[in-house]
Amino acid sequence: MSISTALNQSKSPFNLKLCRRRRLVWWISGLVVSISFLGLILCFLNPSIRAPLRPGLDFTGGTQIQLERSCDSSCESINTARIIRALRELPLPTEDSSFRAKLSQARVQLLDDSKSVVLRFPFLSASQGQLVIDSMGSIAGPFLPGGQAVDTIGPSLGGQLLRSSIVSLVAAFTGIAIYISLRYDRRFAFLALIALAHDVIIVTGIFAWLGLILSIEVDSLFVVALLTIAGYSVNDTVVVFDRIRERGRRDTSLPLSDQIDRAVSATLTRTLYTSGTTLMPLLALIFFGGDTLFWFAIALALGVVIGSWSSIALAPSLLSLSETRNSKKTIVIED
Amino acid sequence: MARQQGWFALIIALAFAAGAVFASFSLPLGLDLRGGSQLTLQVQPTVEITRVDSEQLEAVKTVMDLRVNGLGVSESTIQTIGNDKLIVQLPGEQDPSRAAEILGSTALLEFRAQKVGTQDELRNLQRIRLKVERLIDVYNNNYKLIESSSEIEDISEIVTLAKEVLGIEYFSGNNIEQLEQLEDKIRFKIAELFEPAAFTGDLIKAGSRQEQNGSGWEVTLTFNSEGGDKFAELTKSIAGTNRLLGIVLDGRSISEASVGQQFKTAGITGGSATISGNFSVQDARDLEVKLDGGSLPLPVEILEVRTIGPTLGAANIRRSLISALSGLVLVAFFMLLIYRLAGFVAVLALSLYALFNLAFYALISVTLTLPGIAGFILSIGMAVDANVLIFERFKDELRRGNTLIRSIEKGFSEAFSSIIDGHLTTLISCIALFTLGTGLVKGFAATLGIGVVLSLFTALTCTRTILRFLMSYQKLRSPKNFLPVNQIPS
Repeated sequence: MSISTALNQSKSPFNLKLCRRRRLVWWISGLVVSISFLGLILCFLNPSIRAPLRPGLDFTGGTQIQLERSCDSSCESINTARIIRALRELPLPTEDSSFRAKLSQARVQLLDDSKSVVLRFPFLSASQGQLVIDSMGSIAGPFLPGGQAVDTIGPSLGGQLLRSSIVSLVAAFTGIAIYISLRYDRRFAFLALIALAHDVIIVTGIFAWLGLILSIEVDSLFVVALLTIAGYSVNDTVVVFDRIRERGRRDTSLPLSDQIDRAVSATLTRTLYTSGTTLMPLLALIFFGGDTLFWFAIALALGVVIGSWSSIALAPSLLSLSETRNSKKTIVIED
Repeated sequence: MARQQGWFALIIALAFAAGAVFASFSLPLGLDLRGGSQLTLQVQPTVEITRVDSEQLEAVKTVMDLRVNGLGVSESTIQTIGNDKLIVQLPGEQDPSRAAEILGSTALLEFRAQKVGTQDELRNLQRIRLKVERLIDVYNNNYKLIESSSEIEDISEIVTLAKEVLGIEYFSGNNIEQLEQLEDKIRFKIAELFEPAAFTGDLIKAGSRQEQNGSGWEVTLTFNSEGGDKFAELTKSIAGTNRLLGIVLDGRSISEASVGQQFKTAGITGGSATISGNFSVQDARDLEVKLDGGSLPLPVEILEVRTIGPTLGAANIRRSLISALSGLVLVAFFMLLIYRLAGFVAVLALSLYALFNLAFYALISVTLTLPGIAGFILSIGMAVDANVLIFERFKDELRRGNTLIRSIEKGFSEAFSSIIDGHLTTLISCIALFTLGTGLVKGFAATLGIGVVLSLFTALTCTRTILRFLMSYQKLRSPKNFLPVNQIPS
């Protein structure tokens, strides 16, 4: 053992024995991934969802009308069932059975301490949407002038969105894998992708459960969150790998598992600080960002936490596997 | 030392330049922040053209540009997305139904001669159309159910005629949407009584509307010289016969006119024609916009319409500003607490980072949207990470007993490869998102991507230069400014 590593060991604030505990790490990750898959499957089997995640307006198509209520400090509670009833019996200028049918499928949701009302319909034409907005004033008004938002998504967009989401996910994964294979080697790229898949699966799994329990839907922002998590997760893993490689180059006498332990210990502070400082703005978004960005920020925050776990614990502990295959010999990680 | 001062001067100059750019250019705000309507259109392939390429998309965009200008919404924009989509943004527009109608139609105008021997059929169809139009008028003006007996008679007649002539069953007639559909169908049927197009609206130079004497509006077309010749030829061929001239828009007849005996020799010359279809002012205006823009080379479908009110937009701005600022303040406190003097340098560098970002957005006019702001906030995390990586290495070196200056240098050089790897992998995701994603996603990828690139620059240059500059002051050059006393090796 060289002097520099001895010194280093005594000064490092952490001294993890990760490789000895690797079975525990795998159990935890394996369990959480299984629970995630269970959520995705249950979601798929749920007759009202029939997809691994509860798809939002962006994927299903339809019309969503959001109205901000005009009330001074606090809004008095309103009854969503009453709104649904009123919409069902809405007097129309001319009787139209298809519009009537769409109105009767209305879903009403209150957001932001019932400060805003969100209505969801099957695809409405622009004039039909306007009619609903005009009539809502007498049903649940008063509403803030200029405080309305209408989203109308055609039925064919959802499929396209899904396709482009999957294509960009795969493209990003491939790009990252190629980059790491070039910079490190294929084993590192493989492990980084495992860590990445682990993070993405768990976050989607959590949203599957959220969709089952709280009826939370995923929209195109969720796809963005997944891609960001992918980038972030690899970033974190790469920093740890970079340290392992550096250590391997500097001191070849130590067995790989010790090198991994030391590299993880040395980067632990950095990983925790970085995750912490990334979480801070995300928490600000969660608390103050309003509901458009609320679930987006939640997804990202989950990704940051899970990404830290996978890069501190999962990816390095999997790397230590290659040692057993090489019969406890020290291996030099090639550049 | 001189080189270092050069860097320092450069950074200060850049900061001033960024400030100036930010002050003189305004940041374009997305519709989710300022209110307005956004329409996503997709170009549809046809039987002849089965694949839409960028050339055709450009051709569609040219027509759309003219139409959007005709809508008269200020600061409206059109962007192409991928190789078959267009995004039209109409700031301030709260009722996009008219825009959707105008932008969504192909507006293929055709001039056709009536087929021989279809006079009776045409007259029948025209008669139902007239009745249907009258009923639609009644609906639009009274805005209530039809009550008077003569109108009820009309309805029953329309129901019978619809069944006899068009073969439509199960039609109640007492419903404006059904009536409009019926009118559309009649116009379609009428167009079928005319021969294939003699020539199309490509040969039209301009359309303009004017008020007819008291009974509505008409639209006058001006042909180019080729169009004028063809129009004369067509009118000559049917002049004085009992065949009519059909003006057909998107496969639906908008007007049928007879051509008098006096045009038998030369046809209607003069290079213009007037369509007097008893238009309402709005219809005449819309037709004018469509004709001026010309017809689309390929049909389009409206995929998505998003409208947001200005008050809600302002609330979004307020919320995202509060989040961005509180996030930044939290991070600044954290950095000062953990890294002391180096933390202070990092806060300075991060402020520069934020300033450079905003200046860059203003310079290349990145439209700020809600996801875009989220991308910016997230990129702050990346920028901080670079500093954390450097400072952690730096502290390691200090704890190992290295000198301050040497530790700083080592911190930068050793963290370099991690920083590059981390930033590049994030950049790869951003590029994938930006090239393959749509509207909202693109905004997010753009700000995050710009942030990643700028963060590389500020972390490696600004932090380093400011730190070195401060170290030129003897008083600041003490490990106590960077580490707790108990961690400093004696």
